[in-house]
Amino acid sequence: MDELLYNLKLQIIDALNLEDMTPEDIDDDAPLFGDGLGLDSIDALELIVILDKHYGIKLASPAQGKEVFKSINCIADYIRKNRSK
Amino acid sequence: MAGRQWEGSTFGNGWMHRNLVRLLRMVGPRPVYAFSSLFIVPWCVLFNRSGRSAYAFFHTRLGFPSLKSCWLTYRNHCLFSQVVIDRFAMYAGKSFEVEYEGDAFFKALEAKEEGFVMLSSHIGNYEIAGYSLVSARKGIHAVVYSSEKESVMRNRSGMFGKTNVSMIAMQEDMSHLFEIDRALVRGDIVSFPTDRHMAGSRCIRAPFLGKEASFPQGPFSVAAMRGVDVLSVNVMKEGAKKYKIYLTPLGYGRDLPRREQIGQLCRAYIAELERMVRLYPTQWFNFFDFWA
Repeated sequence: MDELLYNLKLQIIDALNLEDMTPEDIDDDAPLFGDGLGLDSIDALELIVILDKHYGIKLASPAQGKEVFKSINCIADYIRKNRSK
Repeated sequence: MAGRQWEGSTFGNGWMHRNLVRLLRMVGPRPVYAFSSLFIVPWCVLFNRSGRSAYAFFHTRLGFPSLKSCWLTYRNHCLFSQVVIDRFAMYAGKSFEVEYEGDAFFKALEAKEEGFVMLSSHIGNYEIAGYSLVSARKGIHAVVYSSEKESVMRNRSGMFGKTNVSMIAMQEDMSHLFEIDRALVRGDIVSFPTDRHMAGSRCIRAPFLGKEASFPQGPFSVAAMRGVDVLSVNVMKEGAKKYKIYLTPLGYGRDLPRREQIGQLCRAYIAELERMVRLYPTQWFNFFDFWA
């Protein structure tokens, strides 16, 4: 697995207390909200904090968040293009 | 009562609110207290759901005998009408004497570069804090329900325009989360209601006054995510023209897993809320089934 994807999944598992999951359990393309991982708005804030703390990325708006947080692959792509850490 | 959710707004329409402010400008709060205690409160106690809810709170939760619970229900509704009247009295330009306990904690946190979180409940009259607990260095952002009446929001905005307090309304598009996060990163203060949750929002079930109740997880999660300090703020009515503000720091292990941080914060908050309820039992104004 790509190192960025692996680390990102570990950070999400840690922050969202998905203790019974491993990085391998999270599908790279599955939706994070709704039917996929079933995340909610508090989790979205955790993702915002992960992007800020670990990658130096500050999301500007909910609309941007909606696009970026579609799946693990979407977040990883966004990190590759915008990271400052 | 069972399963009833808080809808997030103040009773009355804009016309009523405007005229109440005019009346308070003319006669002050005391005659309005008296009118309310004689003509409005008895009706609410007898015929409103809030009367049954308050009676159950005093009798079942706090263990008072039946007759005393009836009297406390009446006193509770009188005090509730008074804190609502006081809120509009503030909009009408009236002021109250305010005493502080623990304001050194607020000043110490205010002096830091980092932002912090203030947690409150529907006990006493938290809105008075917005006018009294001001910070020269930091902006204060109060998270409120977006369904609150426009007239109340306009009145609040007018009052808060004189201070550095602003409001963040909860929105379905999650934009409030961005605002909350930006405020904390900037080093500002964010204030959350911590005893009511909207339908579908994530909750923590925890023992409160002897039975499990639901607390919203969001405020505790936000504080833990950013690793910021947390203060419990309770503003209690002590007399017709006097309030006392209690500021209590809530500790949590910053190095613990997130779930434990949230649990610790929630338990610390509940302990302080229980202390306040024991000190001021008639100022508990959560008229929905908190323990459902």
